[in-house]
Amino acid sequence: MDPRTRLGLLMFAGIAGLCLESPLSLGILCVLCTAPMLAAGISAIWLRRGLAAAAAIVWGTCLSQGLFYAEQPRVALFSLGPLTLWREGLTYGLAQSLRLLALSMAGLSMAVSTPPDRLLAALRALRVPSGLALMTSAALRFLPTVGQEILVVRRARAHRGRPVWKRTPWAWMMLEISLLRPVVARAWRRALTLAESLDARGFDPSAARSMRRPLQMKGLDWAALATIGSATAALATARILHLLYVGEVIWWPSLRPVYAFVRAWL
Amino acid sequence: MKLEIHDLGYTYPGADQPSVAGANLTLSAGEIVLLTGPTGCGKSTLLRAAAGLAGRHGQGTLAGEIRLCGRDPAEMAPAERVRRLGFVAQEPQDQLVASTVGDELAFAMESARQDPQAIAARLPDLLAQVGLQVELERATLALSGGQTQRLVCGAALAAGAEVLLLDEPLAQLDPLGAQTLMRRLRELADQGLAVLMVEHRLAATLPFVDRVILMQAGRIHSEGPTHQSGLNAEQERAALEMGLSVPGQAAPVPAPSASVGAQVLDPGTLQHRYWGAKRDALLPTEFPLHAGERVALLGPNGAGKSTLLGLLTGQLGPERPGVVGVPQDPDLCLFCSTVADEVAYGPVDQRVPDAEQRTQSAMQALSVDDLASRAPHALSRGQRLRVAVAAALSCAPRVLVLDEPTSGQDHDQVEHMMQALREALRDGALVFATHDVDLALRHATRVLLLEDGAVIAQGSPGELVERLLAMKGGR
Repeated sequence: MDPRTRLGLLMFAGIAGLCLESPLSLGILCVLCTAPMLAAGISAIWLRRGLAAAAAIVWGTCLSQGLFYAEQPRVALFSLGPLTLWREGLTYGLAQSLRLLALSMAGLSMAVSTPPDRLLAALRALRVPSGLALMTSAALRFLPTVGQEILVVRRARAHRGRPVWKRTPWAWMMLEISLLRPVVARAWRRALTLAESLDARGFDPSAARSMRRPLQMKGLDWAALATIGSATAALATARILHLLYVGEVIWWPSLRPVYAFVRAWL
Repeated sequence: MKLEIHDLGYTYPGADQPSVAGANLTLSAGEIVLLTGPTGCGKSTLLRAAAGLAGRHGQGTLAGEIRLCGRDPAEMAPAERVRRLGFVAQEPQDQLVASTVGDELAFAMESARQDPQAIAARLPDLLAQVGLQVELERATLALSGGQTQRLVCGAALAAGAEVLLLDEPLAQLDPLGAQTLMRRLRELADQGLAVLMVEHRLAATLPFVDRVILMQAGRIHSEGPTHQSGLNAEQERAALEMGLSVPGQAAPVPAPSASVGAQVLDPGTLQHRYWGAKRDALLPTEFPLHAGERVALLGPNGAGKSTLLGLLTGQLGPERPGVVGVPQDPDLCLFCSTVADEVAYGPVDQRVPDAEQRTQSAMQALSVDDLASRAPHALSRGQRLRVAVAAALSCAPRVLVLDEPTSGQDHDQVEHMMQALREALRDGALVFATHDVDLALRHATRVLLLEDGAVIAQGSPGELVERLLAMKGGR
């Protein structure tokens, strides 16, 4: 698939994520956005880590929204002293966390399935400013490396000191911040080396380049963009019409099925 | 003349003294010139300045004149410059700009706006030129260190460069890989390429180079042709005074078989297969360690040395208390704001009673006590490695694990560090992976030879040398 198509699909996923509010629909979007990443292949250990991080995000958001939800109406599920867990807060928290996960998964799917140099070519073809295009593709290129380095730094510290949890929260936080120092220093050195390497290979952001494998939009690309783009446009239109109805700006009786669909599914 | 440098100087921002001053050198078509000297003498700075990179990317002050193929390279457009000059820095992994081998090799040709069909036709030749036997669609991140080194060399030559500047191209290569790359460079030079390379490994490079330039303290000390695949007498004397490892000076004396103490670690059977791989990176290996042992892991790139180290340090398996590792890149274990804090971190955090004493003795052992107030990341690579090792040593490890301790260090620095570790680790064990056979023979009490994930031989350095000599005699 052409990288420009992937960028288009990423944009559609973002719009869909903003249009949806139902946890079920956002869950389905989350699964759809995760599928390309799973298809690209990730190791069991990273899958476990990803699931643990996703569970932590969902749990944390649901709990905080469940406790601090202030909108009316709301139904208390459980009370303990001054703390009350609100049903609507839990639902809202679930939707928010699934939206965050869906958009993160869409971005990660794009990152793992698109080579950085192809992304750079696509961004340049879409007339994104050269500096921004280069920064984006370089960040993507070194994302896995930085992830690995964070693990190496944490292990190197663990070899020399006590377990992180055996200290006060403040000391823990300061330690975590200090552990970023080698990663940032290494990233800085790497950025300088990469910049020199690009220069030494004759890269000029403002100049035209030939391409060994030119970007090419095929029938599948256009079909995917047309189908998913149309579906996203329909979702956005339905959401906007419903917002206009709820805001008492426009109400058309003939759109009752649309309003009902938005309430039930979006 | 392909490259002429007149009175070149470079001063880093905020520095009192220039890192390079008054450098003059010429490079003709068909010759390989070796630029060597002690760590921190300005070799890499001179090379970057010669490539024009110090001027374009550095914030420092550049002086002097550079002529590339008779012209000022600063006046050349990038697309033209890349057809004249190729540059390969240290750290080959950081120089990868594309995701596949084919795209990496094609990048400079695309910059030079060459025809896509011509680019496609040239790629197999480029792979052959640098002796890289991989598919064009192979992911660049899946290559070994040695393969990556060859790839970036090929990428630098891709657009038809007439001058090639290389900064420590052999740093990550095993002896055979280093010899293969040097042979390829010699063949390319014989076809007209001009090569200027910075390298510490004199034994691997001298048989293939035409001239040697010795640098010291930012200045060119001497320059002269090689003599019978070695340094000429005057340069040999100077190199020895600089603490460089001069080939043929003294055959490495195998370390005497030391009596080993009590067992300090029994990691059980070590074995590992990476995710998605079809075979084990390390076949089942027993690796008990005893007090006073210094174990060297030798073997070609991809033999399983790093996997074995990863299993020992807990990177690829369970954590092993008392094992402290220093990764190949020392930057990744320096997270304090001063050298003193860095070395003190382990004992202070573990709240051991003699923390200050341990810190002081580790700093003195690795000669970093005079750097105590400096920021670790502002030091040279060799100094950063010594700080990282001192920080590991201050934790009084049962087993200290070092991955390629010679990388970026000159002979004297490596010798000093190994001697210090020999003294400091009397009650513990040292395990180090290296491509430097001499280092292993001089300092190890046990050597493991690995190949394709298996330990094919092990024993004391003396025993191994005898076995190798016997095999040679048998043939």
